[in-house]
Amino acid sequence: MMKQPYNLSRRAFLVSGTAAAGLGALPGQSFAQGERVFRLGALNSITGIGGPYGPYMLEAIKLAVAEVNAAGGAAGRKFQLFAEDDQTKPEAAVLAVKKLVEINKVEAVVGIWASSVGLATMPITNDANLITMNTCGAPEMLTENKKGLAWMFQASNAIFGNAFAEVARRRGFKRPAVMAFNNSTFVGQANYFKSAWEANGGKVSAFVIYEPNQSSYRTELARVLASKPDVISLSAYRPDATIILKEWYQSGQDCKFIMPGWTANEDLVKALGKEATEGLISISNVAAEQHPAFKRFAAEFKTITKREPDIFAAQCYDMVITLALALEAAGAQADVAAINGQIRTVTGTGGTKANSFVEGRDILRKGQKVDYDGASSRLEFGKHGETVPDFGVFDIQDGRLVLKETIPGQLPA
Amino acid sequence: MDWISIANAVINGVVIGMLLALPALAITLVFGIARFPNAATGDYMTLGAYTTIASQMFLGGSIVVAVLGAMTMTAAISLLMYFWVFRALAERSHVSRLIASIGVAFAVRSTITFFAGQDQYVVDLPLVRAWNFGGIRILPTDLYIVGAALIALLLVFCVMYLTPTGRRMRAIADSPELAAASGIRARRVMIFLWAVAGAFCGLGGALLGIKAVVLPELGWELLMPMFAGVILGGIGSPVGAVLGIVTFSIAQEVASLFVGPAYKVVLAFLILLCVLLLRPQGMFGRPIAAR
Amino acid sequence: MEGYLIAISISVLIYLLMASGLALQYGFTGLVNFGHVGFFAIGSYTSALLALKGVPIPVSLAAATALAALAAYPLGMISLRLGGDYLAIVTLGFSEAVRMTLQTEEWLTRGMHGLPGIPRLFAGWVDPRMIDFCIFLLLLAVCAVVFLLIHHIIRSPFGRVIEAIRDNEVAVRALGKNPAQFKTRSLMIGAGIAGLAGGLQAHYLTFISPEQYVPLITFYIWIALVLGGVGSLRGVVIGTVLLVGFLEGSRFLRDVFTGVSEVQLASVRIWIIGMALICVVLYRPQGLFGKSSRRSN
Repeated sequence: MMKQPYNLSRRAFLVSGTAAAGLGALPGQSFAQGERVFRLGALNSITGIGGPYGPYMLEAIKLAVAEVNAAGGAAGRKFQLFAEDDQTKPEAAVLAVKKLVEINKVEAVVGIWASSVGLATMPITNDANLITMNTCGAPEMLTENKKGLAWMFQASNAIFGNAFAEVARRRGFKRPAVMAFNNSTFVGQANYFKSAWEANGGKVSAFVIYEPNQSSYRTELARVLASKPDVISLSAYRPDATIILKEWYQSGQDCKFIMPGWTANEDLVKALGKEATEGLISISNVAAEQHPAFKRFAAEFKTITKREPDIFAAQCYDMVITLALALEAAGAQADVAAINGQIRTVTGTGGTKANSFVEGRDILRKGQKVDYDGASSRLEFGKHGETVPDFGVFDIQDGRLVLKETIPGQLPA
Repeated sequence: MDWISIANAVINGVVIGMLLALPALAITLVFGIARFPNAATGDYMTLGAYTTIASQMFLGGSIVVAVLGAMTMTAAISLLMYFWVFRALAERSHVSRLIASIGVAFAVRSTITFFAGQDQYVVDLPLVRAWNFGGIRILPTDLYIVGAALIALLLVFCVMYLTPTGRRMRAIADSPELAAASGIRARRVMIFLWAVAGAFCGLGGALLGIKAVVLPELGWELLMPMFAGVILGGIGSPVGAVLGIVTFSIAQEVASLFVGPAYKVVLAFLILLCVLLLRPQGMFGRPIAAR
Repeated sequence: MEGYLIAISISVLIYLLMASGLALQYGFTGLVNFGHVGFFAIGSYTSALLALKGVPIPVSLAAATALAALAAYPLGMISLRLGGDYLAIVTLGFSEAVRMTLQTEEWLTRGMHGLPGIPRLFAGWVDPRMIDFCIFLLLLAVCAVVFLLIHHIIRSPFGRVIEAIRDNEVAVRALGKNPAQFKTRSLMIGAGIAGLAGGLQAHYLTFISPEQYVPLITFYIWIALVLGGVGSLRGVVIGTVLLVGFLEGSRFLRDVFTGVSEVQLASVRIWIIGMALICVVLYRPQGLFGKSSRRSN
């Protein structure tokens, strides 16, 4: 049975459109004359394919900005936020980022979601010497990060694909199949899954890349199910995952699914019901649930948006806090390069652990080293600005995500 | 490919085809009588799907009421747009009506997203398993969908071929000048046409919402395959539209077993080209000369 | 500030190039091309792929123009058999087929991963901060040349024939001219211009991916034409400036409507475009600033 909590979804119907509006007037945006602010750009995919995630990423950014400003700013500088919609389109993103750079004179751009947007805007932000923070998964982001100004808060799809294969192996599956949404992130994930699996002498029973925006994926799914897989690595967004899982459930064929955490979560359960989502394996950056930074963030996020934050929202929150701590560490007079230099320092191992901006700031003020562990991951940046998080492996049981184990993220050999 | 996969693909094609037959019929009727390809068709479907969701949320769960509500809503909007836009453009070029219909499509969709946002919605219905006949799978929900579509189609065909309004409609489709000369008042026919076109898009959208998920681009994404199906059947031919879109959907599903999903669209385009080059009047249409 | 204005101007000029191609096809020949973005995409990918292989950019741009024009040839042959609405659907299908092919043929196009690191125009020739300005100047020059070319074409005997085709094809045929040949040529020239625009955009953005070539771009160009009024180059310029001005200007709408969320603002933007289309077609068929139309049809 698919039970939908009416009051909740009715709320969602309005919230997604309007409640977000309440924050339109950007909190804490009043600044005293002559106060030196840090001008922060948010470039989110509000519309387009990123539509289900972008608006909430912006909310998370606003929330973090409010937190920093409520604490009196970083190194005495309050954050002033300028938000733009990139429409999940590279060419719209180019103009949006130019506007942020030229008109708003921002010093950093956070919240970039799509790899295509990240790759298209990188030449501009690099030319302008801006710090950028994104959730892009394309490995090309690392090679194009020529000035070391870009920070990838999401694991690259190579790491994700590897983790999926590792989970399949640990769970003892023998015949995995791969199904993926046709975009660069998911095709990458699918390819890395395949190569990681085959590197250990296994074979992938079926490999299907499907076109998005269809009303039925039955034929594609049938193609996968015909190979009698015991598990399907499904790299999908929520709309297509909803249809595919619905059709899989209806088919009555038994198999498991391994899916990314930003798709296999409570929202998916809400859309499909408990029965069809029972036993799905959901993989996401470990942090969620137990971590204090996440708990606090999730609670605040929930009071504003009436829903659980997804991993992208958590990452966006971390971007702002990380930036604020780096600014605090570099001092009020620091330029962008100096602030950028501190990002690795305030997140790297060896410092005193901090879970919020105020905690981290107080540690810094005592003259100690700080290690910010964020709401999305422990945030240890590699040499190209990439994060290699540990992954939490969750099973969906009776409509809830239950953590089963934690596996270390690693790059494919 | 074994024959069971092919059979399942065919069944899936039939279900999608029957579902799309409703808006396809709307396209072909509008094309035949109001004489332009209506680009707002897809977004009328989207409107139908969202009305279903809204009605379930705010009025309670009955799916039948929700679907009927969706049909009423889209019929009303379709009539409104006729009275405001398309009636005034009746004497102008096809292209001006086509462009205006793109404007209508944008306006309808953005109004929906303004209130509902960009995230997905699902129609609240229990999930049921398919009946399995030795690997051939048939879904009870699909049977309802095909049944609803069939009843709606039968009703319209009865009206078109058995009632005076239907006769007038066909007369205008055949030759507007002749129809006008023999004293047929176009106004009543037009009202009937736009109401039916709207209601059918609404029904198609609602059924699609039940089958899939409800997103702002739901109908817009289907315009291309629907036009291709209509052309395949012969533009302006109601029976052709239904058979055309069903054939087309089956072809797409079966083809995706062999050529890979991405080439569905390319295949659609190739079919369309071949039909237009070899038999421009389509499977059932009257020959239409180049203007 | 200047940098942003230059970026917007570049956007205007790229759209303007595309729109002038469409103006030739529709405004002057009456060809209802709804697949303009397909030629744009062919141009982008051709030039980008060649340049990535080390071909000098001027050569790759020329190839982009030529290939886009060639791709229009078969469509032109079909247009000889089809009326306006059919051509609209066929060309729309064509552009989608192009996009799907770009998306699927990974060995050539890297599929959905897109092509990063496309050589920039003027890179290494001028100071990096001046590159955008130089691209702007180049586009300005290209637009000027294309406008002169179109102006020349419509004044030539060829131009008089294509305008006659638009107005009354039967009469043209009665004069012993073959309309199909003229239509094909007009379609090819317009497609070539779109291909050139695509190539230039690729070398400006330095990253392209199939998602950029959706039918919405075609519709934008149509909207520009309709706003400005078809059948005059002045209208094309006005329409394009209005369109890009609005698309970009609506970013600043937020400063006016502070109570509106980002999601809603995006909806409002599309809504205004839709309403503008309806109202212009209804009440100002000659375009917002056009003189009253010669053609009633």
